[in-house]
Amino acid sequence: MTDSMIILLAGIFLPLFPMSMVFNAIIEKIKYVWVRAVLFVVWPLCGLLIVFNSNVVIPGWLLPLALATSALYALRMLSLRGVDQWCGFLATSLWSLLWLAVMQDATAVLLNSYALSMSVPLVLLVLLSAGLEQRFGAAYTGLYGGLGRAIPRFAGILVTVVVAAIATPLFPTFFIMLDMVVETVSATPLTAMVLLLIWLLWSWAGARLIQGLIVGRASDVKIADMGNTTTSLFSLALLALIVAGVYLGGVIL
Amino acid sequence: MERLIIVIAVLPLVSALLIQLFAGRIGRDIARVSVAFTTLSFLLSSLLLWWALIGYGPQTLSLGYAGTIVLFDPLSTLLAAIILGISLIVHLYSVRYMAEEAAYGQFFVLLDLMTAALLFMVIAGDLITLVIAWYLVGVLLYFLLGQDTRSQTAYRFAFWTLITYRIGDLPLILAAALLYNAYDTWSLATIFAEIMADPYAHEVMGLPLTEVVAALIGFAAFARSAQFLLHTWLPYTMDGPTPVSALMHAGIVNAGGFLINRFAPVFIHSGGVLNWIFVVGLITAVFGSLLMLTQNDIKKALGYSTMGQMGFMIMECGIGAFSLAIYHMFAHGVFKGTMFLSAGSVINNARQDDGIPKDELYTFAVEKQPNKARQPWLLMAAITLAVPLVILVFAHLLVAENYYQKQGAIVLLFFGWVTGAQLIFATYRMRSQNVWRLVGLSVLSLVVVVLGYVFISHAFDLFLYPDPAFRAQLYSAATIDLLPFEVLVVITTLIIVSGWVVTYYMEQSDYSRRQRTKRLWLNFYALISREFYISDIYTRLARTLLAISGRLNVWLRWL
Repeated sequence: MTDSMIILLAGIFLPLFPMSMVFNAIIEKIKYVWVRAVLFVVWPLCGLLIVFNSNVVIPGWLLPLALATSALYALRMLSLRGVDQWCGFLATSLWSLLWLAVMQDATAVLLNSYALSMSVPLVLLVLLSAGLEQRFGAAYTGLYGGLGRAIPRFAGILVTVVVAAIATPLFPTFFIMLDMVVETVSATPLTAMVLLLIWLLWSWAGARLIQGLIVGRASDVKIADMGNTTTSLFSLALLALIVAGVYLGGVIL
Repeated sequence: MERLIIVIAVLPLVSALLIQLFAGRIGRDIARVSVAFTTLSFLLSSLLLWWALIGYGPQTLSLGYAGTIVLFDPLSTLLAAIILGISLIVHLYSVRYMAEEAAYGQFFVLLDLMTAALLFMVIAGDLITLVIAWYLVGVLLYFLLGQDTRSQTAYRFAFWTLITYRIGDLPLILAAALLYNAYDTWSLATIFAEIMADPYAHEVMGLPLTEVVAALIGFAAFARSAQFLLHTWLPYTMDGPTPVSALMHAGIVNAGGFLINRFAPVFIHSGGVLNWIFVVGLITAVFGSLLMLTQNDIKKALGYSTMGQMGFMIMECGIGAFSLAIYHMFAHGVFKGTMFLSAGSVINNARQDDGIPKDELYTFAVEKQPNKARQPWLLMAAITLAVPLVILVFAHLLVAENYYQKQGAIVLLFFGWVTGAQLIFATYRMRSQNVWRLVGLSVLSLVVVVLGYVFISHAFDLFLYPDPAFRAQLYSAATIDLLPFEVLVVITTLIIVSGWVVTYYMEQSDYSRRQRTKRLWLNFYALISREFYISDIYTRLARTLLAISGRLNVWLRWL
């Protein structure tokens, strides 16, 4: 297989526009939540597997394409209302940045941990999205709102998961982004600035998602909140993410 | 003993954790847990401040993981005590004020987390801890301002705050990354030591690293401290709970001044960056004050008042008076915090009694009953110009005789003179029945303010920057060439004096002449009342970006 073919194939899993559309099309079609969750974990790992097993030489033009893909999806996230779609777009925006780490000659172990750290909050969000569908019939922002008062426990977990997904300290993605900025700022300051702009767009999109779901008056219809066990499991997962973040930060910075 | 500084920052975190874990079991008593931890933390911080005052430190303390370092130095101990003092008052106030809130426990968790983030920010001895704390303050403030999840308005303006703070995070992250790449360490103390040893050892895109970093730090400070063009969030974030407004206006918004002080060794070698900081601060002070005067909404007026004060604070940094900015931060924090927290009582009292004293001062100041005979204009003009100048010169001579060799001191003197003169000038224009009494009161208040300001700021100077050579370097870094400086002083004086003359002329002129300028004033007022259309422009830009995002999604079939 030629290098271009390998990059084309890897570009589906470590998203490069327009191959990035494949993942989002598949996510839209899959209705089973657990399959969707597994896909969020496996997809970037497949991309990394292809890259590491092929010894392909990464061409220079790939860096701007990866950045452009990430920026494009970050920008497109601003106008999304579907929570699953939001997860898919954020995943695309995050995973395309893995190309930067690949080009910086990061080890396979480190890159796999990057990919997992990026995916885990999204998996949690996919599960929460299923919870919303179960309660309201759909997981859309601005459709019902008021979750902050109606189901406060669910809302608290949802907000924290979104915050984790958009690279907020002390979650792993924050340290990954910081590392990428540190690695690029001296050699290619423009890349570092684009990375920061993408990061800013994630924050904006995250705030819009939170506001579309949490804010507003609660409906009069009684909705079941998250159970104790589920809340504890989600809390433990988030705590584990923070611990992983602090550990990863210590390793890479 | 110095390790206690770590304990004071960790205590609010422990409190937040306990509340989160036991909120269901102990109900409303969770507030007591929060208050107890904050009180303990405040007492410890006071003890640490005392140690710093009697000469312990400065010291860097390693936390033993990933190069995490905290600083025990005058700046960190002083600001930790201030933050905890204000936080304790806000905690005590919130116990009853927030009692009706559904998310009572969550509020105290967020308040404790915010206190911890602010403490880690001021004691951070490495760039990563500083960046993390700086970033988290913005995120936590977003949720504190949006405490009432029913209010769309509260969240809308909380979002404005978040996005401005995130914009401000970016230059700080860039600065941290540049410094790390250049010096291969995250430790602030090591970086500063290397900069002091060889300030121009590194370059970025052909520019000295120190200048680039100073500019980036300045920009981060501008966003945090609501400087002009990054200020629009501040006057609108009044839908959050009152204790949050108090904490925000008294503490969080001042962080820009702290950041510039923390990076003081960089600013010494920053070329003309301090001059630009001065200009931005000046513009912010003028616009903030101007917009404050024209608001008919008291809350927005308070917001713009804070903006003006932040402008002064940044301006003080821009003239090299770094410690004065810290004093300003402290004084403004106490003053504005008191205003916010007493607002409820004032409204309550006003409902029962308007509290208007029917005395001479009231009739003069509010009802403006004119005096038939006025004092000679020339006499009043002479007093107006001479009295503040004498007070300021006298006050500064008491502190240091060589004060006038520093441009920063001259700028401050000039500012004090103009303000004092303006006060007496306004007194004359108000046509009191007893002008001499009012002039006396004005002079007295000016003496108190100036002496207090000069002596206390001098004390802050000695405490925060005990090395006289370093202090001199700070002032020197803010200095511009003598000729442009003198030209600027003359031009500014001419503008101010001509403003006074025009005002006097307008007072004396007849009605028809005033009519001619009325339209001009109305247009100017319309511009101010729309706040120079800055928020409108930002809203339009944001909507355009959202429209582009939506259009792209349609074109790409949402894939």
